[in-house]
Amino acid sequence: MDRREFLKTGGLFLVGTPCVYGLMAMAAPRPHEAGATDARRWGMVIDLNRCPADCSACLEACRRENNVAVHGDRRWDIHWIRKVTIRKKHEADAPTRTLPLLCNHCDHPPCAQVCPVQATYKRADGIVIVDHHRCIGCRYCLIACPYNARYFNYRENDEWPNKAYPKRSHGVAESCNFCAHRLDQGRPPACVEACRDSGAGALKVGDLDDPDSEISRLIADNSVKRIREDLGTEPKVYYIGL
Amino acid sequence: MEIDYEPIAGRSTGYYLLLTALLVLVAAGVTATVLMIAYGIHLSGMTNRVPWGLQIVMAIFYIGLSAGSLVVSGLYGIFGKLEYKPFARIAAFLAMLFLIAGLLSIVTDQGRIDRVFVQPFAHFNATSMFSINPALYMGHIMICIFYMWALFKEKGRLTKVTSVTVVLWALCVHTGTGAIFAFTPRELYNTALLPPSFVAAALSSGAALMILVLVSLFRITRRHLDVALVIWLGRLLAVFIIVAMYVILIENAHRFYLIESREATSYYLFKGYHAVLFWGGLIVVGSVVPAVLLFRRRTGTSVPWIVFSSVLVVVGVLCERYLIVLPGLEHPPNLFPGMEIIASALDEGIVTYSISLLEILQALGVLSLIGFMFVLGLKYLPLLPTEARAHGQSQMLKDLIARATANAEAEPTSPAV
Ligand code: SF4
Ligand code: SF4
Repeated sequence: MDRREFLKTGGLFLVGTPCVYGLMAMAAPRPHEAGATDARRWGMVIDLNRCPADCSACLEACRRENNVAVHGDRRWDIHWIRKVTIRKKHEADAPTRTLPLLCNHCDHPPCAQVCPVQATYKRADGIVIVDHHRCIGCRYCLIACPYNARYFNYRENDEWPNKAYPKRSHGVAESCNFCAHRLDQGRPPACVEACRDSGAGALKVGDLDDPDSEISRLIADNSVKRIREDLGTEPKVYYIGL
Repeated sequence: MEIDYEPIAGRSTGYYLLLTALLVLVAAGVTATVLMIAYGIHLSGMTNRVPWGLQIVMAIFYIGLSAGSLVVSGLYGIFGKLEYKPFARIAAFLAMLFLIAGLLSIVTDQGRIDRVFVQPFAHFNATSMFSINPALYMGHIMICIFYMWALFKEKGRLTKVTSVTVVLWALCVHTGTGAIFAFTPRELYNTALLPPSFVAAALSSGAALMILVLVSLFRITRRHLDVALVIWLGRLLAVFIIVAMYVILIENAHRFYLIESREATSYYLFKGYHAVLFWGGLIVVGSVVPAVLLFRRRTGTSVPWIVFSSVLVVVGVLCERYLIVLPGLEHPPNLFPGMEIIASALDEGIVTYSISLLEILQALGVLSLIGFMFVLGLKYLPLLPTEARAHGQSQMLKDLIARATANAEAEPTSPAV
């Protein structure tokens, strides 16, 4: 190979490789996209009157189902769903309330708005999801989510209980995805199923656009609240008894 | 006015020692980054509650420095101020290097560095400031290179046009960088004054940097630099400081006044280490003291005092950059207005970010890399003029020269540069 040829091949290689990668990246299909249709708009209702403060069935089911990382360190542990106890400010003897918090699958999700690679996006059925094969790990979505519902894989997850669902490499962001893979198969999310099996039945998932769905009726018949509705993010998780 | 440019010889032991030292630091930074790529960025001080840290602080600090030096360089082209001509090249070169430093800090901060060079281009998101900014940065670097070429070739008209473009582009770049924070729904971030205060602080840090680089370079290479020029740059710096301080004070007064953000604002203005950084670092050390020094007749015309003020300004702006990023993360979002969270598996209250050693090495590595390029540039590019003289263009400059001379006579110890 003479010099000219070498330079030519080298140049082609230098320019070509990123282009090929770029095209491959552009053509890569979205995960869990198959079941998404705009015929449905998934939402959740959480009835706090039926949610015992000391129950953690949903949290454990979620960890088992989605291989959510626990490192035993509060700085890096990931919680797709977590329970928090709240009470009125500056009133030590005010009654407390314990409630599950998860990604609200906002209709106007700031996390997706800021994602520089569209790794975070809203599916046709309203589920906000992260494409872990595309995320560059900039953590801008953690900054933009007003609910602390986003987490980052700061370190490798050693556990992999559910081999049917992938675990994530370190360096990518994640959050609750309403168990899109289960909803697409007609099964309820792991947390909803565990809550039902525990006998509490506080978590309900369903179609917000269908006025006859169980959750639409719950929303119509009860006084419901969403978290920080004032932000205009249009959360799709509704609380009864908050 | 003809100016001769002459690169430094760069054959002394000191020169090679400096290059070696910088390379060692670069290697340390590379090692730190490789470790993070291999094991994850929990090796930094960042957490799920504080997902941005030192690298982002340094990135916006560098990008600010870049803007400032560019504006100083552009002054020559825009206003035809011949006084600045000797600095135009070196300022443009520094602006380019600091922009590279900013980009490198951001790149090394990503969780999946392997994807940074492909995904953002394949899936550009027009609503993300993190997509828009890299495009602006890239353009900025290219305009800088073109501008330097125009300066090297002494293209009069072209230089003028480019320098206007460059300054306007720099303003966009810095507004965009401020918008990374301002355009998010976070209490201490989402103020429209953030981009302007970002630009204002950028200008003062850039002018301060120019003073430091020029005075030290001309002294080390034993070239003549007229005191009047340093005084003139000091004046410019003083004006920038006042503007920056004004915007920053208004910004904070506004969010302190509004009841909804008062709690968060008073947390960072009056409690903990942020208060020390804000009042001590930014306001007193970084703004008031240098402004007074620069405006006072005696200190404002003495090179050592101007240099000292510039150091203070750089420190102050670094504090300001830290305060843009961290308090807004360390202070939690208000999930339940009127309520407090008393138990959770996540840290829901105020948390503290602590910088890790590897992050410091990463930051030093980036700084050393552009230091290395700068030192090489001095040797291989015609950046440095053989001398920088103030040609009495304006009455103000003449006054300054007269005053500086009077000072030098009154105080025989005052150093000539
Ligand atoms: S709750 Fe947070 S992560 Fe979930 S959609 Fe809304 S902004 Fe995004
Ligand atoms: S961390 Fe990943 S998902 Fe989140 S904004 Fe960045 S690229 Fe998007």
